[in-house]
Amino acid sequence: MLPSNLLSVWRRKGTIQPRYAKPSTENLQVANKLIEVYKHSVGKKKSILKKVADDLEDKGYDYHLVRALSLLLDRRSVFKCTSQADPAALRQKLFQATGKNGPATTMEQRKTIIEKVASQLELSSEELEKIMYADLESELLLQDFNSVSAQILLEKYNLSLAQTLLFDSTELRFTVSANWQNIFFKTKRLGLIYDAYKDNEIWVKIDGPASLFKLTRRYGTAIAKLLPTIISSPKWTVEAKILWKFTNEIYTFKLKSWKHSPMFGDKQPPESYDSVVEEDFSKRFKALSSGWQLKREPQPVIAGKHVLIPDFSFEREGTKLYMEVVGFWTTEYLMRKIEKLKKTKERILVTVDENLACERLKKLEKRQSLNIIYYRNKIPLPPVLRYLQDAYKETRTQQTEFLKNLNVTFTEPIIKFEEFAKRTGISTEAVRAALTEKTPSNYTVLPDSLIRKDKLEQIRKKLDKQIAKTRNLVLTEAAKITQIEQVYLTSAIQALGYKIIWHGIDTEKAEIVKLENKATKKATTNDKRKQK
Amino acid sequence: MVRLWFDKGTLLLKGDVGTPYGKWDPRIGCFRIKALHYRDVLAYFEESQIAFEDTVQQLPPLETLKSTVQLRSYQESALDRWRRNGNRGVLVLPTAAGKTYIALKAVEVLRTQTLIVVPTLDLIDQWRSRIRECLGVESGAVGGGENTVQMITVATYDSAYLQAAILGNRFRLIVFDEVHHLASPSYMQIAEMYTAPYRMGLTATYERIDERHQLLPRLIGDLVFNVAVEELAGKHLAPYSYEKKYVELAPEEQQLYDKEIATFKNYLREKRIVMKSPRDFRRFIMITGRDPRARDALLARNRALKVALNSQEKIKALSKLLEANKNEKVLIFTLHTELVYAISRRFLIPAITYLTPKTERREILENFRKGNYNTIVTSQVLDEGIDVPDATIGYILSGTGSTRAYIQRLGRLLRKVEGKKARLVEIVSKETMEVGMSRRRTHNTKEKQAVASK
Repeated sequence: MLPSNLLSVWRRKGTIQPRYAKPSTENLQVANKLIEVYKHSVGKKKSILKKVADDLEDKGYDYHLVRALSLLLDRRSVFKCTSQADPAALRQKLFQATGKNGPATTMEQRKTIIEKVASQLELSSEELEKIMYADLESELLLQDFNSVSAQILLEKYNLSLAQTLLFDSTELRFTVSANWQNIFFKTKRLGLIYDAYKDNEIWVKIDGPASLFKLTRRYGTAIAKLLPTIISSPKWTVEAKILWKFTNEIYTFKLKSWKHSPMFGDKQPPESYDSVVEEDFSKRFKALSSGWQLKREPQPVIAGKHVLIPDFSFEREGTKLYMEVVGFWTTEYLMRKIEKLKKTKERILVTVDENLACERLKKLEKRQSLNIIYYRNKIPLPPVLRYLQDAYKETRTQQTEFLKNLNVTFTEPIIKFEEFAKRTGISTEAVRAALTEKTPSNYTVLPDSLIRKDKLEQIRKKLDKQIAKTRNLVLTEAAKITQIEQVYLTSAIQALGYKIIWHGIDTEKAEIVKLENKATKKATTNDKRKQK
Repeated sequence: MVRLWFDKGTLLLKGDVGTPYGKWDPRIGCFRIKALHYRDVLAYFEESQIAFEDTVQQLPPLETLKSTVQLRSYQESALDRWRRNGNRGVLVLPTAAGKTYIALKAVEVLRTQTLIVVPTLDLIDQWRSRIRECLGVESGAVGGGENTVQMITVATYDSAYLQAAILGNRFRLIVFDEVHHLASPSYMQIAEMYTAPYRMGLTATYERIDERHQLLPRLIGDLVFNVAVEELAGKHLAPYSYEKKYVELAPEEQQLYDKEIATFKNYLREKRIVMKSPRDFRRFIMITGRDPRARDALLARNRALKVALNSQEKIKALSKLLEANKNEKVLIFTLHTELVYAISRRFLIPAITYLTPKTERREILENFRKGNYNTIVTSQVLDEGIDVPDATIGYILSGTGSTRAYIQRLGRLLRKVEGKKARLVEIVSKETMEVGMSRRRTHNTKEKQAVASK
């Protein structure tokens, strides 16, 4: 983290980004120069190091970068005062010698005082003058320097920049592929509050207690401290709101692992919280080859406004269940856990080790009809499998029921799987599977919905018309057209007989073209060759 | 059952009732209220005869206080106004008018858990020794490495802000020294995150250039007492005079100055930038982040200013003045740390800057008080509220251009001592930008000087 005056940013259309230092030749050169200077300046004054940095600035290197890098290097250095007498004690003697007589206004007075004090301390006048302020920061000597490569220094700089920008954040949202437990643990310790919701991925919004009343940067520092933990996951997306103090405007600051991960360098792999019991269960279960996909530390499950991070997930043909392994526990703890479990729509099996009970447990079994398996030392496979099979059967029955009722003829132009699943009360996967298996004859299957064939044709005509008018059709324009019809372009594009041609990653430049048949395709590629 | 408790600088309310200022927090399923409104919530429940369980405050134990503070008449009426305003509000009194004593009397009268919030570490020490003297108890301190909470606790604004989540419910009276600081966007959250129903603000300079002082009534209460320097000067405060001494730059300094300042001015002219107010300057600073040429211009301007501020001729002039007043107690002010140390080395006198360790700073001030040292050179650290009881002369070698800092510096010399006539001398380079800076300042404080220098 850096002082805010060393933060330089890009602001454009409501977004804000630090000016990262890419590992370009020039940037690596600056970093290398500074590192070399520190390496060879052991035993020299700190002010000399600052002078070198100043010179680099004068040569036209970006002063934000130069100063920040030298600050980061300072933090890897040990500076010490090594004079033969204590400067503070020496000063006190000197000033007392001047004392009541008033300042040494003439040079003779000055000389007399210095000589007197120097002889008292058995020093020469020159030594005394040298020691007088040897404890000032600029006078300290570089004792030790923990070197680093230029590449890593730039990575540390970039991460510091991102964190420094987050000082001014009012909230942060993120989604990660792993490491949830670690992040929530740290969130709590930093006095922050989280709020989870599902939007394709599980997103978590982080702010603090007082954020409820107004936008506040108060939690920015804590949020910045959380960043390294978030990005130590293999995949992550982070989005923060920055209250830019100079203009008093809100900006969005986005970070994505595929784009920014290389900028921040390799991270320590997230710590795992594996216990022997879980390891053992996982091995034995996989050895069964039961047809269930077992996954450890799956994505979290939403429970009300919070999330649960189950230890295992089991998946089989659209049926998904979770399992939570409880370590040391009390009745109250279990009750709380169960309360939390009730808030989720997912099915979660809880396994509890009787040996780890911190009190007698009999009461609980009577009160709860929840899925709890008690065991001693090792999680038994049969009851787990029985539970899984029951759940699987249940979904199968639901699906058959559903297929039976499917005779109802659809009339709507578009049937979204997700909406339909909500209406019928079975999983989206089951709906998709069932409707793909038994598609009504006048409908076409899209990845997320069914669409009536005449509707599809109608949209196709619209696109054709637009292309005929404007010759080429940009992705964003096409998306607007399909959006009016409430169809998500990218999921329907193939069925419409089109494809996307990307020119870079800018959606405004991506183009929609008709899928050619093989003959025309060859012709066009030949044309291109000729042009070359 | 309705339950009200403290959660990290806010209040949480559980139960079947709402409350004024309450906001539903969907993240946790409770009403949340700013700690600032604790008093209002209590009043509302009482009035509506709602029974509730209140575990908000976690107060340190009370101690027995000595009663030695004798207030002057104007101090008494200040305290009286504050008491009649429901133990809330801001008192405006000039530096050295004894604001501390009014606050300590309030603590004594209310005999309640009190947090005193001050801008600097020096002021923590000063308040603590006053509390020891006047009330006869050891106070706690938060900030500068210490972290103890007592019935009376002194904290810096920074620590009070950073630790609001854990300190916010531990006091019933909160006193803000130099309260104009509180109006800044982050510090104002101190007022919002503490539950203390009784609040006192103290300052010599209530108004802020950015107008944010208008936020203070909501946070700590109205301005209830205001007495200006002129009403107290001569009677309760030492009168002072102010003079300016112009010094020409040495020829080679002048040459260097002209060259650097030309670089700066040419850039402004070329880009048609007009610089009249501090806001214009801030805007220019922002440009320097993007445009390397603007940065060069800025650096040239800074170098020119440095030449003018650090001029050898000024040191010579200072030397003459010091020589002429050898037996007086003198404070030398300058903005530049480097210059402080140069003067300290040249005249062999103690220096205080932001780099000076706390123990050394204390030792220097103590010896100055006792008369073992009679001259100190310092940068901005003594700007606010620190007692230097009997300095009679102040020399300013460079100015910050800010009205408030200027008044506070004058105030430093205003401690009332028998037969003392304080003098303030500003040494300014002739024919440089610095003159403009100094003129702007004196213009703003003209009236007060007119009275004071009579």
